[in-house]
Amino acid sequence: MRREPIDPSGLEWSRVSPKYLRVRLLGWLIGSVVWLLITSVPLVLRLTGVWSSFPPAWIAWGLPAVVLVIVVWRGLLLPRQVGAIGYAERDDDLLVREGVFFQRTMVVPYGRMQYVDVAVGPLERVFGICTLKLHTASPATNASIPGLPTEEGTRLREQLSARGEARLAGL
Amino acid sequence: MTGSVPAEAAPGPGRHGQPEPSDAGGENRIEVRPGEDWRRVHVISPLVRGWIALVAILYFVGRDWFEGLFDPGSDGRGPLPEGVGLLVAVGVVLGVVLLIAGAFLVSWYFTRYQVTAEHVRVHSGVLFRQQRQARLDRVQAIDIVQPFLARIFGLAELKFEVADAGESAVRLAFLKLDDARQLRATILARAAGVETDPEHPEEIIEAPEREVVAIPPGRVIGAALLSGTTIALVVASAAIITLGVVFETPIIATSFIPVLIGVVGSYWSALSTGYNFRAATSPDGIRMRYGLLDTRSQTVPPGRVQAISISQPPLWRLKGWYRVTVNVAGYGVSASSDGQARSSLLPVGSREDVLQILALVLPDPGTPRPVEVFAAGMTGRDGAEGYVTTPRRARLLAPLAWRRNGFAVTETALLVRSGVLWRQLAVVPHERTQSLSIHQGPVDRRFGVADLQFQTTPGPVSPRVLLAETGTAWDLFHGQSVRAAEARRRSGPEQWMKPVPGPAAPSDAQAASEPEALPASHGGLPVPPGEPDAQLGGLPGGAPAAVPGDLPEAPRREPAVPAPTDSGPRTVMPEAPRWEPAAPEGEEGYGHR
Repeated sequence: MRREPIDPSGLEWSRVSPKYLRVRLLGWLIGSVVWLLITSVPLVLRLTGVWSSFPPAWIAWGLPAVVLVIVVWRGLLLPRQVGAIGYAERDDDLLVREGVFFQRTMVVPYGRMQYVDVAVGPLERVFGICTLKLHTASPATNASIPGLPTEEGTRLREQLSARGEARLAGL
Repeated sequence: MTGSVPAEAAPGPGRHGQPEPSDAGGENRIEVRPGEDWRRVHVISPLVRGWIALVAILYFVGRDWFEGLFDPGSDGRGPLPEGVGLLVAVGVVLGVVLLIAGAFLVSWYFTRYQVTAEHVRVHSGVLFRQQRQARLDRVQAIDIVQPFLARIFGLAELKFEVADAGESAVRLAFLKLDDARQLRATILARAAGVETDPEHPEEIIEAPEREVVAIPPGRVIGAALLSGTTIALVVASAAIITLGVVFETPIIATSFIPVLIGVVGSYWSALSTGYNFRAATSPDGIRMRYGLLDTRSQTVPPGRVQAISISQPPLWRLKGWYRVTVNVAGYGVSASSDGQARSSLLPVGSREDVLQILALVLPDPGTPRPVEVFAAGMTGRDGAEGYVTTPRRARLLAPLAWRRNGFAVTETALLVRSGVLWRQLAVVPHERTQSLSIHQGPVDRRFGVADLQFQTTPGPVSPRVLLAETGTAWDLFHGQSVRAAEARRRSGPEQWMKPVPGPAAPSDAQAASEPEALPASHGGLPVPPGEPDAQLGGLPGGAPAAVPGDLPEAPRREPAVPAPTDSGPRTVMPEAPRWEPAAPEGEEGYGHR
């Protein structure tokens, strides 16, 4: 896994399953096609002559072009984004990091966890991965680890629950 | 109601009655365990809650009838259809009112509550029944609220908050004020883990309190006038007048009306929620009372404050005033003025008041120079008193605030200061951090800085270290997680009066000398009549505690039998903690280094 300057030293990050990249790419593909179709409507109408004058040519061509650029950019970024997701279990807390340009690392002490969610969507189920989410008493704690292999997710959930119980503290 | 408090004490026995001093034997009280039976709220509470509906009905009906009197075509009977007598009309209205009253009454009848040794339970609902049970030791705060009408009837609503951050876990509306206060004392005593006298479990004494801060009404008015509302009013007026002059349309002047309504509303809420504000300390935590028409009395037990913020709007600088708001898990976030008032520990106060309040919330500041460190956080800038600020190279990102943005770490808390015009100092006790995150965007990376965010329970305070040097931010990130883990291990029990295992309580000898007093015996121990007075107020075992003679009012009765070990401290008037300036030249260190 690529080291970023924001990373703390002396930490071994576990990275998420490469299948997660495929899930994200599939989702990206579907979303991109839908967006492109929607934004191409004026162009199609203009080319077929239904609307001849209303949308100026630069809007009709520009809109899908801009969307195309954004979509391609996001697609190119996806592998790096997925590669940037990592987590590390330490003795007292769990670290989660994400982000390529806007990087974020979050630390959640085990004793602070209120509950752990494991969610599996239809696409994720096909690929055998899941998303694990930690909840503390603060709704601002947004620590989720997507793209865990199912057995790793289950293991982590059990592990976190056990450690949370052992280090349980009040609020 | 034995532990009466001078400010709002009402004479007269509570619901449980009071055993006479001669009633020391008291065998026949053992099987009766009041507080475990089911009770109902006061019978007229439906009226107090539903009075708006009643007034609305009477208003509409009455107005129609009244207008009808002056209708020229009418014979004084009002706008009634032909053939309908006045009596019938009155009967219909009465029927509707009775029906509503009946519905309220049924719902009242089916709402019952119970406070056991460990839980508070509420059963409610007729068709859709609800049974709710909350653990007492999970209490985050207890409020006693008296809306204006309830005050007239001498009633009060009791709110029991747990860390849900939404609705109150238990709301009992309405009880007699004395009952509400007795119930609060009971809940707090049981939540605190105070061992009650096994013979008189109903005899729970409200913990005494000592007033720490009282805000004069003049200051509340001044604070409202100097608040951000006034700035907004000035800005809005300037904008409206400018627009009116530029476009030469006097019509724009009408937009003053909504502005004025908003401003008056804001002033009013600041006044009504800050009026007569008093903060006191007691073994059960911090007590706050305030309110002009509606009054509210809040108790936040020890260790329930998750984060503290000391802020100062620009105009308050003229008078040196500050506001203290806190995150309490039960209060959550609320946009309403009521909700905001609930989370403010000090609506407006001087620097000394703030330090007093801080000493209550954070009894151990974790630094030998608390006054100087906190003063530097409130008003200072640059590196004085151990604050670490934004590095000079990143000053372009915060041209005004870079010398003020900063943090300091004491042994018990993290202090985060920010804001040049709207100054703020956020304080997070180490053991209260839920999680923390470090953020760095591309621009931050270019300047070698990062932001740190501390997540606490929902509330008005969200501590954030802005633009710290990357290495420093990482040091803080790791150091803070270590300190938080350390502090959690050290932190006291949730039941704040439970004896901490370890050092023996000074009263061990006492308990050993009277083994019959242990709860197991239930023996109806005959106690010499003089005994209670000997035990009055002091710690068993003669700990050097404040004697009740300090109190303005004298007669406060201890349980007849000295309860084992830990009911003692709760009945002792707490010494209000106070931070002293460390250095003799402390005043010169304030904010000017």
